Amino acid sequence: MDIDSLKTQIDSEIQGVDSPEKLEEFRVKFLGRKGILAQLTSSIPSLPAEERSAFGQQVNALKNRTLSLVAEKQKSLASQPARLTAGIVDISMPGIAQDLGRLHPLTQVTEEICTIFQGMGFSVVEGPEIETEYNNFTGLNIPSEHPSRDVFDTFYLKYKDRLLLRSHTSPVQIRVMKSRKPPLAVIVPGRVYRPDAVDASHSFMFHQIEGFMVDEEIKFSDLKGALEAFVKAVFGQEIKMRFRPHFFPFTEPSAEVDISCIICKGRGCSVCARKGWLEILGSGMIHPNVFKHVGYDPKKYTGFAFGMGIERIAMLKYGINDIRLFFENDLRFLKQF
Amino acid sequence: MKVTYNWLKEFVEIKITPKALAEKLTMAGLEVTSLEEKEQDVIFEVEVTSNRPDCLSVLGIAREVAAITGKKLKLPEVSGRRVRRSPGHQAIAIKIEDKKDCPLYTAKVIRNVKVGPSPDWLKKRLELVGCRSVNNVVDITNYVLFEWGEPLHAFDLDRLNQEAIIVRRAKNGERLTTIDAEERLLNRDILVIADREKAVAIAGIIGGKDTEVTTGTKNILLEAAIFNPIIVRRGKQAQGLQSESAYRFERGVDLEMVEKASWAAVGLIEKVAGGRCVLARTSGTPRTTKKGIALEVSTVHKILGIDIPPIKIRKILTNLGFKVKAGAKNKFRVGVPSSRPDVNLGIDLIEEIARIFGYECIPKSLPAVKPQVTVSQTKDLVPQIKNMLVGLGLNEVITYSLIDKELLKGFWVGEGSDLIEILNPLSKEQEILRPLLMPSLVNCTAYNLRQKQTYINIFEIAKTYFKSGGKIQEQYSLGVALCGMKSLWFGQGHLQDEAGFLHLKGILETIFKRLGLAISDYKFIGKENGNEFEVNVRNDNTGTLRRVDKGVLERLDIKNKEVFALEIGLERLLSRLPIEKKFVPLARYPGITRDTTLELKEDITLEQIMETIAQRGEKLLEEAKLIAYFKGEQVPDGFRRITISFRYCSAERTLTEAEINPIHTNVVKALEERFQAKIR
Repeated sequence: MDIDSLKTQIDSEIQGVDSPEKLEEFRVKFLGRKGILAQLTSSIPSLPAEERSAFGQQVNALKNRTLSLVAEKQKSLASQPARLTAGIVDISMPGIAQDLGRLHPLTQVTEEICTIFQGMGFSVVEGPEIETEYNNFTGLNIPSEHPSRDVFDTFYLKYKDRLLLRSHTSPVQIRVMKSRKPPLAVIVPGRVYRPDAVDASHSFMFHQIEGFMVDEEIKFSDLKGALEAFVKAVFGQEIKMRFRPHFFPFTEPSAEVDISCIICKGRGCSVCARKGWLEILGSGMIHPNVFKHVGYDPKKYTGFAFGMGIERIAMLKYGINDIRLFFENDLRFLKQF
Repeated sequence: MKVTYNWLKEFVEIKITPKALAEKLTMAGLEVTSLEEKEQDVIFEVEVTSNRPDCLSVLGIAREVAAITGKKLKLPEVSGRRVRRSPGHQAIAIKIEDKKDCPLYTAKVIRNVKVGPSPDWLKKRLELVGCRSVNNVVDITNYVLFEWGEPLHAFDLDRLNQEAIIVRRAKNGERLTTIDAEERLLNRDILVIADREKAVAIAGIIGGKDTEVTTGTKNILLEAAIFNPIIVRRGKQAQGLQSESAYRFERGVDLEMVEKASWAAVGLIEKVAGGRCVLARTSGTPRTTKKGIALEVSTVHKILGIDIPPIKIRKILTNLGFKVKAGAKNKFRVGVPSSRPDVNLGIDLIEEIARIFGYECIPKSLPAVKPQVTVSQTKDLVPQIKNMLVGLGLNEVITYSLIDKELLKGFWVGEGSDLIEILNPLSKEQEILRPLLMPSLVNCTAYNLRQKQTYINIFEIAKTYFKSGGKIQEQYSLGVALCGMKSLWFGQGHLQDEAGFLHLKGILETIFKRLGLAISDYKFIGKENGNEFEVNVRNDNTGTLRRVDKGVLERLDIKNKEVFALEIGLERLLSRLPIEKKFVPLARYPGITRDTTLELKEDITLEQIMETIAQRGEKLLEEAKLIAYFKGEQVPDGFRRITISFRYCSAERTLTEAEINPIHTNVVKALEERFQAKIR
């Protein structure tokens, strides 16, 4: 084998080495124990004596040269990222992964609201959906024969003791206050029921969140502050809101909280019935009669309470126009959230 | 309730625009929901809350306007309370059966009226507030109702047996044809106005047709009274009636205004329809007991969170019609007018002060919430479980708690008496509270199939309701429904994965593992028909896996698809969980893995194989699991090939092949012998 043509071969082959594996192949081929250069070296004794020295030097020189080529190549390969898969990937193909499911939008909104109040120090509590008339009405200062009852029309069970399906989450106030002593800061999410004909804005079953706080020095200004913090957290710092006097049998003073209509920005439209404001929350200072029913001294303790419909908040937040969508559970609807 | 700008202006000076006035009323608690310009006036639609019967009149709202704007209320003058007695006319006796039903009844007789169409001004005003014009006398009774808030009724005197007016309960079976030409069947729960012979009106709600004032009427009896709110409400509900009178009596009419309003009506009638009042009778007390409330200024500050000067407090209350007497330092004694049945406690006064002072003027503060110790409950795991299910690709649904009993067919095998029924459902779909989630989930699956979904994987965690031992129970359940074919992309193609029992099992296994249960803690027990498996957790029947019955699929119109569902009693499950996690030391010494492929008959279950392995594996066998499964051309019919990976490990030393070989051989031999397994 002619040293020059071997040199040329080595030079050209090293170009094609583009991976550590190929480099190893190359090294073994030329520099290995049974490699080409080794064979050449072992062929020296078979040469004429006067040629041996010169040939031996040439082979050595080529060997050293090849060694440094290998060392160089190794260095340059080490600084390149390794190719893991053979071939080129079409990255526009779908990724391989397990698709995640979704929580129902009402659950998502409920969790968001609970998190906001938990951040203020409230604890989350639940109560039964089947309630006594006392907890749903009497204990909350709602007299049995008064027009204020009409708004809370209820489903009764075919059972003794006038058990009913709660028409709001407020009964849990009675339960919690009867089983614990103040101070309290509690938030209660849950299903409620009212015999309303079902249409785009009414459902006979829906969800509410109730919140209340009782201590020795709770003020009306605290209620305003807590609710403003909440509204801004859900609808953004820029939202406009107002606190409007209203009436609930279980709070005094009472208020409703309106936000500026997010559809028409306050100009008036069908969603806000031309008022420019959307009502989202009912609230007030807990009525002394309610405290009396649960055995708290109204002279010592004061508190506030508030309640909101979760469907309403979700519909405003996401721009959903029909409450029935929440309970149809069409996967095309659910997967949007 | 409608009032108009000009009508209000008759009783209070208004210098601001209707829009500005509407805004002020709304922010003081009387929400104005719409303004309409009509006939050179502006109609205010006001939403009056049920605790403010005093605002169900123009005068009532005018008083509010006066208090809010700081102007004076101009009460209407009622002059001429004159009775011109004529000789030869007998007095009419008023008999009230029960004072509780009717604390006050007044009757005035006006003779020689000319009943005809009302003058324009009267027609217009009534029209603006949504009241239809009938004739001048009836219109005046309505006018006074809207202006004063006192319901009045006029009877044709000559159609009454004039010896007496009796306020009594109707007799059971008594009949009365009312002004709307409906013949009504009455009973003892209904209060009526009657003469000696028969009932002539349902008290406080609607008059009788027979005694109504028509163009032929010459003499009238004008009734102004107070009826018990509860009896009026009951009568209204029983008869399915509503009227402006009933609406006001239900909420409470001001007893002390009755006579004044009545004389105002008399004056108007005499002016508009002619005639003279010849008789006035009263039965009952036109006065109420005075209410006085003690109010401390410091309490006002404490409750509201702002210092309002005592002078301002006094002014606000006085403008609203309360009588304020200063007592000891910064203490007031407040007299409540009879028109305010809603004000009884100090806190009611504080609300009055706050709303007129302006809620927007009260500052905001952040409440100091004291940290509470809450005991962590098993229910706290529900959000975690939901997240696990979402991570497994399932979508949460929320379905109705009330269902049609029919939906349970094919799912519920309990007693009908254990179902909780609703007394007053609006439709059959609200018949019962559901004892199971599964039927609703399968129903929801059917709905989504109709929307052309090919793969449905849904879950719900909600309450189920039933009677157990006669007692009502409400318990959380977890329900899952799977249906259809999922296409799994793995980079070089798609695998078609059809939902089945093992998918349901996989979901539960994942959750159980994450909740801390070991494989040995639970098992799935097949039922005879092969369509159902009991989920048994630590010896408790916690739930069911089910292939939905063909009958149910047909009923729900699900074609050519199978639906698989599971239901777990969550509270039962969570009560059987270990809450504490304990650290298990990591293996210090490497183990040895052996993979062995066996070919055996299909009907030998993996459970049986694993049982045998566990028996023979001794302590050093840490885990045996299925890593490959094969059924194909090379495998004879009725057989299957499975590869099991055996992992041997010791906590004390590195194991050697020499140590493991005999054990493993032993295990494999047992499998060969017991199950005729062939090693491949």
